[in-house]
Amino acid sequence: MKARRIIGIAIAVLALAAGASQVWFFLRYPYFRRYAAMNGVSLRQARKAWGHPSDISEVAMGLAVEASLENWDAVEALAAEDRKSELGTYYYNLSNAVKGQLPDRLLDYYQPFERGLFLPVGEKTQPFVIACAGDVWWTLGYMPLAERDAMLGMLFSPAHTGSRYLRRLAETNLVKGDYEAASKYLGMLLNSRADRKWAQERFPDAWNPEYRRRIEDMRALMPQFDMVHGMDQAQLVLRMLLTANSSNRMALDYLLCNDLLTKDIDAFVADYNPSLTDSHLYDEAMLIFLAAKGGVNRENLEHYHIPAGTLERFNRFVLIYKQDGGAMKNLTEEFGKSYWYYFYFAQRNEKQ
Amino acid sequence: MKNSNAIILLLSLLLLSCSRAYDVRPSGEGTFRPAAVFPDYREVTVPCNIAPLNFYYTDAGGSRFVTRFSCDGLSYTLRGRDAVWKEKAWKKLLEAAKGSDIQVVSSYRTASGPVSFQWSVHVSADPIDGYLTYRLIEPGFEVWDDLEILERNLENFDTRAISDWRNTGNKCMNCHIHSQGRGDLSMFYIRGEGGGAILNRGGALRKLTLRDSAMISSTVYGEIHPGGRWGVFSTNKIIPAMHSAAFKRMEVYDSASDLCVADFDGNRMLTFPAYAREDVFETFPVFSADGNSVYYCASGAARLPVGLEQMRYSLVRVPFDPETGELGGPADTLWSGPAHHASVCHPKASPDGRWLLFTVAGYGTFPINHRECDLYLMDLATGEAFPLDEVNSDKSDTYHSWSSSSKWFVFASKRGDGLYGKPYFIHVAPDGSTTKPFLLPQRDPHFYDNMLRSFNVPDLGDAPVGFDAVETGRILRDVPSEQFD
Repeated sequence: MKARRIIGIAIAVLALAAGASQVWFFLRYPYFRRYAAMNGVSLRQARKAWGHPSDISEVAMGLAVEASLENWDAVEALAAEDRKSELGTYYYNLSNAVKGQLPDRLLDYYQPFERGLFLPVGEKTQPFVIACAGDVWWTLGYMPLAERDAMLGMLFSPAHTGSRYLRRLAETNLVKGDYEAASKYLGMLLNSRADRKWAQERFPDAWNPEYRRRIEDMRALMPQFDMVHGMDQAQLVLRMLLTANSSNRMALDYLLCNDLLTKDIDAFVADYNPSLTDSHLYDEAMLIFLAAKGGVNRENLEHYHIPAGTLERFNRFVLIYKQDGGAMKNLTEEFGKSYWYYFYFAQRNEKQ
Repeated sequence: MKNSNAIILLLSLLLLSCSRAYDVRPSGEGTFRPAAVFPDYREVTVPCNIAPLNFYYTDAGGSRFVTRFSCDGLSYTLRGRDAVWKEKAWKKLLEAAKGSDIQVVSSYRTASGPVSFQWSVHVSADPIDGYLTYRLIEPGFEVWDDLEILERNLENFDTRAISDWRNTGNKCMNCHIHSQGRGDLSMFYIRGEGGGAILNRGGALRKLTLRDSAMISSTVYGEIHPGGRWGVFSTNKIIPAMHSAAFKRMEVYDSASDLCVADFDGNRMLTFPAYAREDVFETFPVFSADGNSVYYCASGAARLPVGLEQMRYSLVRVPFDPETGELGGPADTLWSGPAHHASVCHPKASPDGRWLLFTVAGYGTFPINHRECDLYLMDLATGEAFPLDEVNSDKSDTYHSWSSSSKWFVFASKRGDGLYGKPYFIHVAPDGSTTKPFLLPQRDPHFYDNMLRSFNVPDLGDAPVGFDAVETGRILRDVPSEQFD
């Protein structure tokens, strides 16, 4: 009798410990749990697919979760916790772009060249990264790549399905006006209690004025012409978006920042129009071009809206640079977040 | 106690009703307006050996569904939104209806009153080949994961893998094709390191490297000669790309393509300068029913991808010598792509030599991604070709395959959602008239609603292939690939 009692108590203690462990897990890794739910898998399946969660993976999953919900302040806060990952930079840049401050804040953060703007999608890319790659295209308004990356994200997800992908696929098709395709995914989401209301509200006859306006705004960003392009031609796609809608400021900033992060100053000058966008980053880049071409004069400075203070800082940067024989040590503190510093000192990681 | 039992029962029913799949598809502006039943088996013609036609009613507001089937004194009633057959009962009804019609009465209740409608299913006395192979693949652009090639018994719901990711290390694999519907003569590819063309002759598998130094790539599209000794193939440099337009998705085109012949007995590749010209792209070669000709598609070269829409392939026939494997002689253009402002893909000769079935797209060589592509049938006795209006939809209809009797064919259609290919079957009468397509029946009538993979290249076989995925894995792992010179 006593032995049975002890066994009973032991089982109860173990059950309590297991419960407490679960609660602790949920509190410590809330994004892991939410990301698993978005992928339609249990925590056990999630651990099998992505390994045991860590602080690093928790931030990455948090970025993916909050970005899919378009909680950009949360994305920004999580990006601040990230430890120099391409994914962290990607979402940092995306959250700034949504707020119209991509160029202004670009160099306040780790920038692994263009890979902080567009995540690579290929045979060697981690599935988790692929699943995030479409967020930028969705936000920019380019549905073909947003749809492709959602498809690929789903293809490599543990259950080959999940509301994260089905929702994006439904919405890309709603924006495209392909209601038959959208209905496929909305119909599947109706089967999930967590997604049912979301899906019901997205059938076109159920749209409220706000959602209808959002879809129409996104449609206005889409190219109406057809062009065949490769899978990784980000610059070409951005130019197409700008041809389709020259007021797509976000596409313009991504194009210009892509030019600058790849140090393609000529492309930047060709793409830059100071009447459409402005930023101290662009002023700094223009000064590099103008200085190289002997064009630092009043006419150009006025045309490109470059403040006198920026020119003064540039001259000071050049002076120190020359004095130190091209060394960075005396430039880092004052100019470490300038484009000049990036242009002269940033080096591509050979592993990239 | 009675009360508590009642409460438990009530709770159980409540739980059951909560967990039931929510299968309603609302109609509305531009949304998919479904037929009254899905799959839509109303007024279709089915072979006398087909698996049960399970379906469900799509009316969201309906209740108390009753479906009565009758034929020749036999009568069955199925109740519920899902009409799901017991296999024995279905077989009995099918046998009774052979060569005639099954009459169906559907009735249910809605808020606005009772609904009732009648329809029929014609049961053809012509059986269909009993096996269908297909690759299940997610729309994956350049990448893949968890691929498998399955073989489905069309007389029931049995399905087995003949190659899958578990046994191949998640390798890419291309679709399985029979020669004239023969289960004992077929092939498919496993790509990547250690892979090759897997040739099945009489159940004996071989792994082949179908490439020599003169070829621009390994073999891609092709077919096995009815005699089993030869294979005719195209070699293609394939480029994946994307469209910016909303209603187009992925594009795939060739930047070069040639023809070649494989000698499976002599382990040699035969290449031909006439079919390796840089200014002409040749692709999709297949043998005629008698094995004395090869049909293929050809287009003049263009600057790509800019000139992609000018790539219009014509249907061409050239003599083939089954004694020597030589391809050549006077070429005959059977259907001109440029003259029709269209492009021919995937010609398939019926085993009886009467028909040639092919796909016509606006341009290019990858019709499964072209929603405008349609199936055409050519009467080889007269050379007349016509679109199969009763068969074609507003989405891609392609990847077709004949049954060994030439009385049925299957094809993959993206009708409906436009994204996922599904296998549909057609009966072909002696005069070339066709029937309304019917979708491959599944045990679960909601199967296709939740399916996120395409049935790629469905291909009919008169018998099961004599191997399975484990055997394929063993060949892949343990058997060195035979080199072809």
